Amino acid sequence: MIRNVRDLAKKWLEGKEVDAIFGLKEQDGYIAPYLFADASELDNLTISTEYRLCYTCRPPKENILALMQRREPNTKIGIVARGCEERALIELAKRGQVDLDKVKIMGIACTPEEAKECKCERPYPSNLVIGVKSPRVEGVSGDENINALLNKSLSERLEFWRHELSKCIKCYGCRNVCPMCFCKDCKMEQEVFSKTGWLPPEIPMFHFIRFYHISERCIGCGQCEKACPVDIPLLTIFRLLRRDVKDLFDYEAGMDVEQEAPLLTTLDEMPIKEEVPSGV
Amino acid sequence: MAEFEPKILAFCCNWCSYAGADLAGVSRLQYPPNIRIIRLMCSGRVEPEFVVKALSLGADGVLVLGCHIGDCHYMYGNHRTKKRMAILEKILGYLGIDPRRMRLEWISAAEGARFAEVVTEFTEEMKRLGPNPLKEVRA
Repeated sequence: MIRNVRDLAKKWLEGKEVDAIFGLKEQDGYIAPYLFADASELDNLTISTEYRLCYTCRPPKENILALMQRREPNTKIGIVARGCEERALIELAKRGQVDLDKVKIMGIACTPEEAKECKCERPYPSNLVIGVKSPRVEGVSGDENINALLNKSLSERLEFWRHELSKCIKCYGCRNVCPMCFCKDCKMEQEVFSKTGWLPPEIPMFHFIRFYHISERCIGCGQCEKACPVDIPLLTIFRLLRRDVKDLFDYEAGMDVEQEAPLLTTLDEMPIKEEVPSGV
Repeated sequence: MAEFEPKILAFCCNWCSYAGADLAGVSRLQYPPNIRIIRLMCSGRVEPEFVVKALSLGADGVLVLGCHIGDCHYMYGNHRTKKRMAILEKILGYLGIDPRRMRLEWISAAEGARFAEVVTEFTEEMKRLGPNPLKEVRA
């Protein structure tokens, strides 16, 4: 698999289809995102389940790809992307963060084991280039955490979250790792909503901010839950919300480039244009 | 023990619901005094965080009142509110807060009677639901 990825990357670079390949580089046993501009470096190109490319680096609270595109707007970048990474790219493009025209996606599939572990609803990108499609994990009915939560009464749920959320150490890991969290001014840091330097954070306010803000754009990559050092089951709510957004607005984040996000449209699905007065 | 008197917070938009509340007052309609009104320019200003903040600071119920769909002074402000509140309701349910503690209603400037009716109904419902359990969470 990795051999195929390297070969194709080499072909793209040498054929000048792209100016550079954005992927993961392995060096001295560590893995980090890297922009491969030279075909001779491609031996270090790797793929990893532990690391997603579309994450946001903080500070300066910027998406890496968005940063690169702003600096070099005319560069065509090839990206080695899994299903979730492609969904992230699509959602980021809808929100004006990245320019998909300047991106060529090398879609790679996840193995069935990886897909199962992530409970991925679509473990392959829309234009699959390398690998075979693993089965989707359909719906939320097979998820033990979700079933356990739904079987609880309201007061039991509150008790459950009181326990889970009080473990939070406010590392902001879930936010930092989230590909869809790119605001420069984050509400989770605003004194009005959540006191800084206070533990445990306000329950449920602190986590609610992310639940709500990511609700309709969550691509279900599960990185927040993996990043959490105290194992708060964040995906339980995000997966339920993905289902609800599909039921309510017939929208699935990251699936369709053309479809506008529901919170950015009117009730008739007409995009709401924000008119910025000139000279501002 | 005296009957439980819920504290209710209402977010009213400046152009319809606040004028509706004003009309209810001018027309001398009776409604329970449990409600505290916060005037906003548009119901689209109501962030779901406001509702959660109100609930966690001790409000027993939160009313979000805006113009009818199509009547928004800012064209689509209430479209946004409607979609946001739909998601908010779901999250509240999963977190274990009764979604009935938040209600979204459209009240025009001419509907003073409707305003009194909604407030009365909502207060009755909050009395039935009892005190907001989220209050205790705050130590």
